[in-house]
Amino acid sequence: MYTPTTTSTRGRVRLNVGGRVFETTSATLASAGRDTMLGAMVDASWNSGVHDDPAEYFIDRDPCCFAVLLDLLRTGDLHVPPGLPEATLYREALYYGLLGRVRSARLGDFDPDRLRLASSVHGRSPGDGVAIRAAPDGGCCVSHGGASGVVRVYNWMLQERRPVYHPAHAPVNDAAYLDASTLLLAARERPGRRDDDGGVSSFSALTGETRHRFRVAHDRQPRSFTATALAFDGGCDVFASCKGRINEYGVAVWDCNTGEQADFFYEPPGCALGEADRLQWLEETNTLMVATMFPRTDSSFVTLLDFREKSVVWSWSDVGTPASIEDKHAVDAVAMEDGRSLCVVNQYDDLGFLDLRKNASGVRWRSRSKLAMSDGKTKKAACGEEACYPKLAAHGGRLFASTGDAISVFSGADHVMTSTLRCSNGGAICDFSIGGDRLFALHGEENVFDVWETPPPPII
Amino acid sequence: MMNGQKKRGPRIEPFRHRVETDPKFFDKSWKKLHDAIREIYNHNASGLSFEELYRTAYNMVLHKLGPKLYEKLTENMKEHLEEMRTCVEAAQGGLFLEELERKWNDHNKALTMIRDILMYMDRTYIPTNKKTPVFDLGLELWRDTIVRSPMIHGRLLDTLLELIHRERTGEVINRCLMRTTTKMLMTLGSSVYQDDFERPFLEVSASFYSGESQQFIDCYSCGDYLKLAERRLSEESERVSQYMDVKTNEKITAVVVKEMLSNHMQRLILMENSGLVNMLVEDRYEDLTRMYTLFNYVPDGLTTIRSVMMSHIKDTGKSLVTDPERLKDPVDFVQRLLNEKDKFDNIINVSFNSDKSFLNALNSSFEHFINLNNRSPEFISLFVDDKLRKGVKEANEDVLETVLDKVMMLFRYLQEKDLFEKYYKQHLAKRLISGKAASDDSERSMLVKLKTECGYQFTSKLEGMFNDLKTSQDTTQGFYASASDLADYPTISVQILTTGSWPTQPCSTCNLPPEILAVSERFRSYYLGTHNGRRLTWQTNMGNADIKTTFGNGSKHELNVSTYQMCILMLFNSSDVLTYREIEQATAIPAVDLKRCLQSLALMKGKQVLRKEPMSRDIADDDSFSVNDKFTSKLFKVKIGTVSAQKETDPEKLETRQRVEEDRKPQIEAAIVRIMKSRRVLDHNSIMTEVTKQLQPRFLPNPVVIKKRIESLIEREFLERDKTDRKMYRYLA
Repeated sequence: MYTPTTTSTRGRVRLNVGGRVFETTSATLASAGRDTMLGAMVDASWNSGVHDDPAEYFIDRDPCCFAVLLDLLRTGDLHVPPGLPEATLYREALYYGLLGRVRSARLGDFDPDRLRLASSVHGRSPGDGVAIRAAPDGGCCVSHGGASGVVRVYNWMLQERRPVYHPAHAPVNDAAYLDASTLLLAARERPGRRDDDGGVSSFSALTGETRHRFRVAHDRQPRSFTATALAFDGGCDVFASCKGRINEYGVAVWDCNTGEQADFFYEPPGCALGEADRLQWLEETNTLMVATMFPRTDSSFVTLLDFREKSVVWSWSDVGTPASIEDKHAVDAVAMEDGRSLCVVNQYDDLGFLDLRKNASGVRWRSRSKLAMSDGKTKKAACGEEACYPKLAAHGGRLFASTGDAISVFSGADHVMTSTLRCSNGGAICDFSIGGDRLFALHGEENVFDVWETPPPPII
Repeated sequence: MMNGQKKRGPRIEPFRHRVETDPKFFDKSWKKLHDAIREIYNHNASGLSFEELYRTAYNMVLHKLGPKLYEKLTENMKEHLEEMRTCVEAAQGGLFLEELERKWNDHNKALTMIRDILMYMDRTYIPTNKKTPVFDLGLELWRDTIVRSPMIHGRLLDTLLELIHRERTGEVINRCLMRTTTKMLMTLGSSVYQDDFERPFLEVSASFYSGESQQFIDCYSCGDYLKLAERRLSEESERVSQYMDVKTNEKITAVVVKEMLSNHMQRLILMENSGLVNMLVEDRYEDLTRMYTLFNYVPDGLTTIRSVMMSHIKDTGKSLVTDPERLKDPVDFVQRLLNEKDKFDNIINVSFNSDKSFLNALNSSFEHFINLNNRSPEFISLFVDDKLRKGVKEANEDVLETVLDKVMMLFRYLQEKDLFEKYYKQHLAKRLISGKAASDDSERSMLVKLKTECGYQFTSKLEGMFNDLKTSQDTTQGFYASASDLADYPTISVQILTTGSWPTQPCSTCNLPPEILAVSERFRSYYLGTHNGRRLTWQTNMGNADIKTTFGNGSKHELNVSTYQMCILMLFNSSDVLTYREIEQATAIPAVDLKRCLQSLALMKGKQVLRKEPMSRDIADDDSFSVNDKFTSKLFKVKIGTVSAQKETDPEKLETRQRVEEDRKPQIEAAIVRIMKSRRVLDHNSIMTEVTKQLQPRFLPNPVVIKKRIESLIEREFLERDKTDRKMYRYLA
């Protein structure tokens, strides 16, 4: 094919990076975006006087990393050759302003059935982790029990940031990300301490600084309180299950922009709102699920609140259910994303379902065969180890349940088990969280958490 | 312990950048950037190496010099902007905006490049420390150093407002410059645009339009003023689209609407000689459309227009229906109503966007004034009668159909629909019996319309009338087929009318001529022979006859006359001269009718079949009549009309009304019983409302009458009053 020579050199760019010469087109570099170093470099405003063709630039950086990044710009694919430390690559990507591209090339869209163990991260805290939360950008934080009040924060590159210390070192009950750079903590108030002990505060996930303390007032009197669970509706409301010092039980609501208390839903008789284990915002029905589970209380309670009408729209509890021989209790609950049903799990890993569209219905327990088969052998192995109650999560239309040292993925309307995630280090899984295209599983013993992510799909 | 470790193994020293130890590192680096920024502001950037500058800034941030760098940058940019400010301040008159625009463009370009250099700081130092990003920092500095500096702030606003004022008064201004300037304000943030431009702009506009409206409302007609307002509104919209933020459109429109329209609404709508009423009278569709569109913006605007229109329609309608002159011609009366309705329908459809609330207002106005005249039902029926008689003469049935549809509109407005029914029945009966119903299809289509409007029971009797005629035809045919010896008798055609379906007429029999009597009696026996248990009475007052006549002068004619007239004429087969008294005795026709017949036979111009002695209008007992031998006519068939009023005379009217009132009584009672049967116990007021509601489709019952009916029902022990509460009624099954 005939190509005119004039066009063959037009738009060509020669780059000398740390002594190695690369040739590419200015279009490839510009595709990085005007807000990146390479995009700005080839932009007209910086080349007004230059007319030699092809243009040549010198960049005083490492050529090996540049080769990887140029390949990324050319193909959209991130291929890291063995021997190139990821941290170095990330540093170079930050220099060129390409870190966002590297991240999106690194983390494929979350697909529960194609998850791969990306790494296991060992923590340094003396106490074991008790809760893990995924950040929207792929990072996470691990809350540690005990009186330290420390929350370890990791960015999406799994580099540890400055940890968040609760100012009063109050024990942290729950954590939630408002956005990638803002972390909310719910802490326990300890008797005999100062008034600003416990409660709900927001912190910078980047620097660990305290941003704001969310106050609760009863009859216009500010009161200190213990917060047990947190939720964020993705818009502007922050919810926390609160227990006040003078037994004001209920759910507090704050506007996350102003930080002011917007509402307080006092616990009506027959519901348990003030010491919940889990709050979950249901987008479909604009309601908040409040779940208070065994063994925190003797019975389990699940309540759905509508804050627009200030009413309880649905509630369930196993109070009065005749105790079976095995003495089963629901130990975790999660509402499915369509807002139609609720899934609960008992201490024997049985799944049960409740219909959220009907009040006063009973739990439909599922035959436990599928779950039992998967964890039958580990159960025996884990006999001597510390047991962890199972946890649940709903994400992308799938249901996730942790059983022993594995996480099972259930799909479809009938919740058929489609995958099992297991990594044998660290013992039973005490908590897990999904977000930012990753699944984080925290082990109960070795102070280690696993990061599961979806590799990019095959080329053909 | 630490010492021991030190001795034993190789010590790992913390990694250090050597450059950090250079005390001049920051100053050197910053000088490089400082110089570059100066070159950039001087449009001399071609010699700069972006990569080098970027690396310099990167190194400074890497070595934790971000805060210092940020501070220096702020300081430096401020200096450059202060230089720019001096230039802008020095610009004279019209060059001011141009200079400002030029400097703004320079600053923007420079800012983009400065941001490029400091991109690494933007990504790392700034988000973690919650600082303003470089580009936004540049905009803030521009805002505080230039736009809001004391020498420029007021001058900029004044210049913009002055230019807008000049454009409003017809001058051409540089819109491009306006656009870049307002765009600059918007770029600095919506609050800057709103505080520094939009709010004062709206205030100035309000006073401008307040002044303009004061000036023009005194000397302009309503239509012209509205044209001006419309033009001003579209100008302002266009101005906004040219060089302001789209959100301003709504606000400036509100200002113009308030100053030019809302504040003068009453005055404009009620303006003498040119206001809404004049527009309506003169069908000024364009002006009306404009008024509707403009006042749509005004709160309560359309409501005001609607209520003025309503009172206008009511006034004109009232003068129309109560004008005694109009009552003389019922057809014209209804035609005028229809024209009025058409006129306003057109106005609403063309100018008022077919607005439902306006149509409702029109309907309620018509309903109001049509019922002011209690003869409206009669007149409407007469109008239909006129149309259906003339049916064939009208261009075609489609036209007739639309006329009927329109009449139905008027019919809907009637409160006394039962009165209409009465009249309609009478008029229909006349049409049918005299065979003047022009088109069977049109008659039936009118019936269907009434049926859909008022239900089956409303038209069942009317339909019965049609059926009677159909069966009569068959019976007559059957009669002639049954006997062969009837050829010698005059041919008769009998219409058998079911009693009750037809309007009752005082039955006044007359003596039929023997020829007719014979064949009539044969028909009677035939009919009674085929139908058991029926009674047949001759309604001689309603029939008509065709008579073949040979006059003395030899001219032959076929006369179409009524049955009474036929009886009279037949007498002259045997006598030449007869006095009134003789005729009365021979025929036994009631005096009123007889006189009418004789008048029409003897006194109608051109149709004088009889001669009367003396030739006066009134008929005395001794007047004598003879056949007019000199009768001539161009036509072979001659129709002799009857002198009879189409419109009801006053006593007849009174009679009809009485009959209607009488008919309403059982209907009201039936309604009361129906309601009480289902409710068992009900208080007086509720009964009143329920009954009125039930009967509304037919007529509006008078509360006094309802009360009387209730009392009558109590007397007949259908109801009883509650023992304790006298206002409660109880149903007795």
